[in-house]
Amino acid sequence: MSSSLIQARGLSKRYGSFVALDRADFAVEPGRIVGLIGPNGAGKTTALRAVLGLTSYEGELSVLGREPFRHRAALMREASFIADVAVLPSWLRVQQAIDIVAGVHPRFRRERALTLLAKTEIGAARRIGELSKGMKTMVHLALTMAIDARLLVLDEPTLGLDILARRGFYDALVNDYMDETRTIVITTHQVEEVENLLSDVLFIDKGRIVLDCAVEAIAERYAAVAVADGDLAAARAQRPLYERRLLGKTLLYFEGADHEKLARLGEVSVPSVSDLFVAKVSSERAS
Amino acid sequence: MNDFVWLVRREFWENKAIWIIPACIGALLLVAALFGRIEVPMLSAAEHQSTTAGVLLLVAVGVVFWVPMGIYSSWYLLDCLYADRKDRSVLFWKSLPISDRATVLCKLFVGVIAVPAVYFLVADLSALLVAGAVSVRERAVFGDVLWRPELWLQQQVIWLYLIATSALWYLPVAGWLMLVSAWAKRAVILQAVLPPLAIILAERLFLGTHAFGGLLRDRLFGGGYVSLHHPIHWSLSQAGPAGTTPGVWNLPDPQGFLLSPQVWIGALVGAVFIAGAVQLRMRRADT
Repeated sequence: MSSSLIQARGLSKRYGSFVALDRADFAVEPGRIVGLIGPNGAGKTTALRAVLGLTSYEGELSVLGREPFRHRAALMREASFIADVAVLPSWLRVQQAIDIVAGVHPRFRRERALTLLAKTEIGAARRIGELSKGMKTMVHLALTMAIDARLLVLDEPTLGLDILARRGFYDALVNDYMDETRTIVITTHQVEEVENLLSDVLFIDKGRIVLDCAVEAIAERYAAVAVADGDLAAARAQRPLYERRLLGKTLLYFEGADHEKLARLGEVSVPSVSDLFVAKVSSERAS
Repeated sequence: MNDFVWLVRREFWENKAIWIIPACIGALLLVAALFGRIEVPMLSAAEHQSTTAGVLLLVAVGVVFWVPMGIYSSWYLLDCLYADRKDRSVLFWKSLPISDRATVLCKLFVGVIAVPAVYFLVADLSALLVAGAVSVRERAVFGDVLWRPELWLQQQVIWLYLIATSALWYLPVAGWLMLVSAWAKRAVILQAVLPPLAIILAERLFLGTHAFGGLLRDRLFGGGYVSLHHPIHWSLSQAGPAGTTPGVWNLPDPQGFLLSPQVWIGALVGAVFIAGAVQLRMRRADT
């Protein structure tokens, strides 16, 4: 087995005739923050559910050296996750939530959860059902961050939260949690918000991985060129992935092209993760 | 073992009705005993008859608790693997290092052992209070009838015996309810009731028989015939040697119960249903 934390080969999952995952291959290395990015229905959630042992699948999958579906309970001693927003049960009190996780989780540190919660000013006697969506998310995050896990999976953890709550969530994650011993896999619609956090991106579309790339490598492999109308024909000859009309110029996105050649066509920049995502998925669909 | 205690505690946190319903019944009985009219003609009759009255009172208190307990326990089992999928909190519970088998078995334990045990404790306490209230109010005629240790001991033995035998006898029913609870995406009650009704109807229509209906009726209402000596048998044994105290000692028939193939076939069917519920629980992360 490789040293990868997560290793998937030919990972497939069908729901009836719908193919949610279609022989997807990917790997996640330790110490990385990986963004799993894809349009709705692309298979992001299915992929993460498979990784977390929440669903059966076909193909090969190893997470922390285990087969997740058969060994979810053992896996959850070393991996933790927040799947979706506000899934803490409404009848539970904050104190009870801490007690039960402390009771059953060998790697949960109660003091740490209490410290994190103290920052949120949410009382321990409060019932989850009384809290706002943002507060519920912060309680869940505090519980999850107090677990000494090697792998943290976040599936749309901030969906439907206002911008303050979203910012608070990611700040807490980066400042109070992330270090080189941890690995985070995150999916979100708001790519812009996590862009600066990520060390790797995995693009997924129609159940297939269309890009698996370190963020540092994006600048080498991809380029965006702002081309004036006169040079457009010459630029298109270089086979761009995707083009986009913007304020009198056309932005062309290239993969693996010679940067010097591109510089002659117009101003070259490094595409943002969200632009790259749009370019990559559009070109995959066109081909 | 530690996990199991936490899981049971969790069920008691979530399902406060486990305590509240029997406590209300007990309170009502006590109010009735304190302020109601007491008219038990047998009380003023001869000694052995008044003992019978004492037995009757204890049995009546028992029945008053036993029926709601059966209804509540069925509801609990039907709801226990569905409610957390409906509100999606299953995504939180599954992030804890607890296997689905442990979860299902714990909920089964709560439904068939813990809930009856709570009702038993509350019924016991209520019977004591009711007997106390009645004795104080009707001192003259009631005397010490209700304060015979043997009577209490009998009550305890019968309750515990019935809890143990019912747990085994109703295992197929409990298993079926849990299977539906783990399976249904909506309308759990309908999905629990309709399939057996459909089988009964189909059998009547196409075969003209009603074997399944009979089987179901015997299972739902016939537990007592297997675990207890037949009432006629009991009354005969009461009328045995002169001077013996009529009692319930002769009522339980553990040997007949344990040797009954019905019990073990039912338990086997129950085990299959429960195994099915575990498999479904592993695969269903939400509704």
